Amino acid sequence: MRTSVICGLASVVNLFFVSGMNGQIKTIESFALRNVNGQIWSTECNKEVLGFIVVFTCNHCPFASLYPARLNALNEKYTPLKVPLIAINPMDSLLYEDEIFSLMQTKAQLENFNFPYLQDEKQLVSKQFGAEHTPQAFIIWLENGKYVIKYKGAIDDNGEDPAKATPFLANAVNDLLANRQLDEAATPSFGCRIFYRK
Amino acid sequence: MKKYISTVLFSLINYCVFAQYQQLVIPDTLSGTQFNLVLKDTFKQLKSGNQTITGGINNHSFWGPTLIMKKGDLVQINVINKLNDSTTLHWHGMHLPAVMDGGPHQVIPMGGTWKPYWKVTNQASTLWYHPHLHMMTMEHLSKGLGGLIIIRDSIESLLELPRTYGIDDIPLVLTSRRYSTTNQFIVQNVAYGDYMLTNGTPNAETDLPKQFVRLRILNAEIERGYNLGFSDNRTFYIIANDGGLLNAPVAVTRLKLMVGERVEILVNLTNDAVGTALDLKSYNSGQPFGYPGGEPNTTGAFGSLLNNTDFNVLHINVVKSTANPITSLPQKLENNVYFKSADAKVNRSVAITNGNPGGKPFDFDNVSFQLNTINKTVMLDDIEKWTVTNNNIFGHTFHIHDVEFKIVARNGVESAVGDFESGWKDVMYVPRNESVTFVTKFSDYADELHPFMYHCHFSNHEDGGMMGQFVVKGNRADVNRKSYISAKPTLFPNPVKDKLNIQFGNSDVKVYYITILDLAGRTKLMLPQPNLQHGLDVSQLQPGVYTVQITDELTKYIHLVKFIKQ
Ligand SMILES: [Cu+2]
Repeated sequence: MRTSVICGLASVVNLFFVSGMNGQIKTIESFALRNVNGQIWSTECNKEVLGFIVVFTCNHCPFASLYPARLNALNEKYTPLKVPLIAINPMDSLLYEDEIFSLMQTKAQLENFNFPYLQDEKQLVSKQFGAEHTPQAFIIWLENGKYVIKYKGAIDDNGEDPAKATPFLANAVNDLLANRQLDEAATPSFGCRIFYRK
Repeated sequence: MKKYISTVLFSLINYCVFAQYQQLVIPDTLSGTQFNLVLKDTFKQLKSGNQTITGGINNHSFWGPTLIMKKGDLVQINVINKLNDSTTLHWHGMHLPAVMDGGPHQVIPMGGTWKPYWKVTNQASTLWYHPHLHMMTMEHLSKGLGGLIIIRDSIESLLELPRTYGIDDIPLVLTSRRYSTTNQFIVQNVAYGDYMLTNGTPNAETDLPKQFVRLRILNAEIERGYNLGFSDNRTFYIIANDGGLLNAPVAVTRLKLMVGERVEILVNLTNDAVGTALDLKSYNSGQPFGYPGGEPNTTGAFGSLLNNTDFNVLHINVVKSTANPITSLPQKLENNVYFKSADAKVNRSVAITNGNPGGKPFDFDNVSFQLNTINKTVMLDDIEKWTVTNNNIFGHTFHIHDVEFKIVARNGVESAVGDFESGWKDVMYVPRNESVTFVTKFSDYADELHPFMYHCHFSNHEDGGMMGQFVVKGNRADVNRKSYISAKPTLFPNPVKDKLNIQFGNSDVKVYYITILDLAGRTKLMLPQPNLQHGLDVSQLQPGVYTVQITDELTKYIHLVKFIKQ
């Protein structure tokens, strides 16, 4: 069974097929989550892409809060190049009241997010990615109808001072766009731990 | 040309001086009887490159404000947990009811507020507060969550002692950290940091006036001991141990300060020229085996760049004296009357066990800590003598909650107790192949349900199970009280705006605990032994439906009542 979605009328149903768990390649099937604009955002309805930049972030983590401007810039730069950015909030809003949907909407509005900010209420999408903390970035690349994880790690290496930072995430997108071997397919990252509901 | 060279040299020297030291952070103070502590995740620039994620309290990014309390005051604290994790906050050294103590049972969930209160009965002293969540203490403490408490009283206030905070009365919180490649604190499989942090400041320096200055020093490490002394080997004077002033100053040139211990010292800078400098150092090279931080390795779980070496704790620049300097050493301090060995009615022994590589982790009496096991029961007002024996492989520090104690013997010998540790203590060093005996009295606070802790203060050992718990059993009239909450309490007004009153069907009942949860089940308020005379302040709650859990003092039965917040 696959997720069947009629764009615009989609519901949040996600069924995953993860292959190559033991190898280097991990693929993720299409998913659909609720966006802060109230609509369902799904990979199925955004197929005219080469891949996605997926950033796990949240409302309450102070280190994640350093990045919105940089995420806006990344989205602005890479959307025309067919690698748009989406942000996913993996936090359990039963544990953290700060993470409830209405406060995600407030956050997106206050910080002028130019990208979808999706709530992973059941934490299933985040679990499939293996997201560990916020902020944490992934690049997934569309290959033969599946999304292959090409990069996992930090956005860059200086939260407070973008001018001093090495842009790991942007470098990885550039490498992929140029068909180059990725310099670093994974970089160490850190932030607020994601507690998965059992 | 020559001028050019000297200019380059000069700027190089300047650069080195600038890069070598950073200004010592002095934590802000909070005083009065109401204290708000907001615990949160934050970050701090500790190394060049990426910021380090730390734990902060209020506006501090590593180590929290110093709380100044007066003996005799009724203090009330709002501990607000805005961290990404549950935690607890323990008032180390404070004599208070077990349910206010902030041990592993008083878990504050994310978004929750815990409101303990107590009457300050400790004498003037330097205490501290820190997280105490079982198996998470090391991680939370490593983030920099904690702070000092200074208690003032009428005896200390009358003495000619330096007490201008941050000027001639300096708090010094000593610890060290190891960093990952991304500049994050490493909190797994690490007993020692590689880089010194004094009040969270790397390579700290400070100006001190040319007069007698007081340093209040806390060892807030994971395991490392400090063998403190000054770079010119000058004599300095110990005026207080963990629990307050000694009867008279004790002159030393070196002082071992182990994890959890505090000491107050006076340093005589009256003979130092303005513009000169000296260093407070830890002389940790050449210590006997079993001294924490004496191991020779520089890497690995028990290695460190600071192990078995002498290193700087604080660089001191002598500046001109203040308007009313202390220029002499008081000869007499307190009139403590200490317990003696013969005062004890009950004798107990605690053995340090396990901890061999590959075996069970360190514990006491071969029993690892269990949250639901009470290891010892103490009778209220009993004077007890505890002997902690370490026939084991390594040194430890032993800490007990609720009380200050008097060390009466080392290896059974009274005269083996050092002058430097002759005052009131709540932490003691138990070196390898030694036993240490203390006497204390368990007064005022009986609670047969809620335990106090005793544990090794190495947070990795504590987390690993080197901890036990005791309850103090009362013989008060209260225990025979027959009156209990016999019917569902009523709440009014309901809906409520700010003050919620609770009415019971019968009088003379006591409430042990109130917890308020929102509709989703999130704990919002935790109120140990709340005073309900003037109702409950619920003004901080968001509008919505809430459940109040009311635990009866006598039966510990929990009543559930709902209310609506407008
Ligand atoms: Cu220990």
